[in-house]
Amino acid sequence: MAPGIRPVVLVILIAVQAVCAAFFVWDDVSDYLTMGANAFDLHQAVEYLVTLSPILAIVIEARLLAYLLRREAHMERGLSIAAGALNDLMLGHFAAWGLTPSEQDVATFLIKGCDIAEIARLRGSAEGTVKAHLNAIYRKADVSGRAALVSILIEDLMSQPLIQRTGTDAPNGK
Amino acid sequence: MLHKKVWDPLVRVFHWSLVILFASNALITNPEKATHRYIGYTVVGLVLFRILWGLIGTRHARFSNFPPNPAAAVGQLADMATGRKRVHLGHTPLGALMIYNLILTMLVIGTSGYMMTTLAFFGIEWVEELHEAAVTWAEISIVLHIAAVIWESLRTGVNLPRAMVTGYKDIPAESLISE
Repeated sequence: MAPGIRPVVLVILIAVQAVCAAFFVWDDVSDYLTMGANAFDLHQAVEYLVTLSPILAIVIEARLLAYLLRREAHMERGLSIAAGALNDLMLGHFAAWGLTPSEQDVATFLIKGCDIAEIARLRGSAEGTVKAHLNAIYRKADVSGRAALVSILIEDLMSQPLIQRTGTDAPNGK
Repeated sequence: MLHKKVWDPLVRVFHWSLVILFASNALITNPEKATHRYIGYTVVGLVLFRILWGLIGTRHARFSNFPPNPAAAVGQLADMATGRKRVHLGHTPLGALMIYNLILTMLVIGTSGYMMTTLAFFGIEWVEELHEAAVTWAEISIVLHIAAVIWESLRTGVNLPRAMVTGYKDIPAESLISE
């Protein structure tokens, strides 16, 4: 997903579009205030579409940004291709299971072998909170515990090559 | 729970006086009248004082404690995206960007407002438009600021509006803590 885009580029794009969206909204509101019922003709309809499109783009970009930030949060510099592939594979599963951002973070630490106390320390949350996240992860993934969760990923990794000949950095995560 | 003193009295008095004075001029006073001008000059004075205090003030009041830092700002976004609870003792990196934005905007409003009273710029259209656009920009920024403060308070469990009143942050013991 979106290889090569850096979060800071997305942040700048979102900021610029937010300024544009704010201007268009302000323009539409003042048009409506001055024109009243006349503000619903074809010309205005196009203007409303112009207002709507950067707002929709911002929503999509924000979701992409959150994905990239979550992905980078567990990647270190000089990461091997295999670890990058595993990371993308995990995120694919997490999205399919409908894990929340916090649950995704906890699950990644869990798969890396951290225990509850370590995860709590790394996330700045209480151990009870982490335990609640774990229960939700196991329930959504429909597994009995950490071993079963890890085995899902190992199974996927063994059933397909880690490095594809086309040179993409991720195996098919679906 | 950690009970930490972060905002000195001058920072807090500055913050809430700016709130009252900006709100009065944006929402209540008549721009044609002298009161609007005097309040405007007071706001500029407050902002200039804050800039001075940012150079010589207490630890968390100084600009060196919250420099504009894009990498740290992306780090704060990453904390949000992963649900990690990192508490910044002073201003957060995103909060710092908002402060610089508001300080600059207040100075633009004050300068353009003053220009409208001078013979050289009286009645010149772009000065008036700049003044009004900067006020609209400030209003959008303030709405964003309030939303962000509420969100950040709920997310990290630190009541930020109360800290700006009492000067103390009450920080959950298990939080990750940054400067």
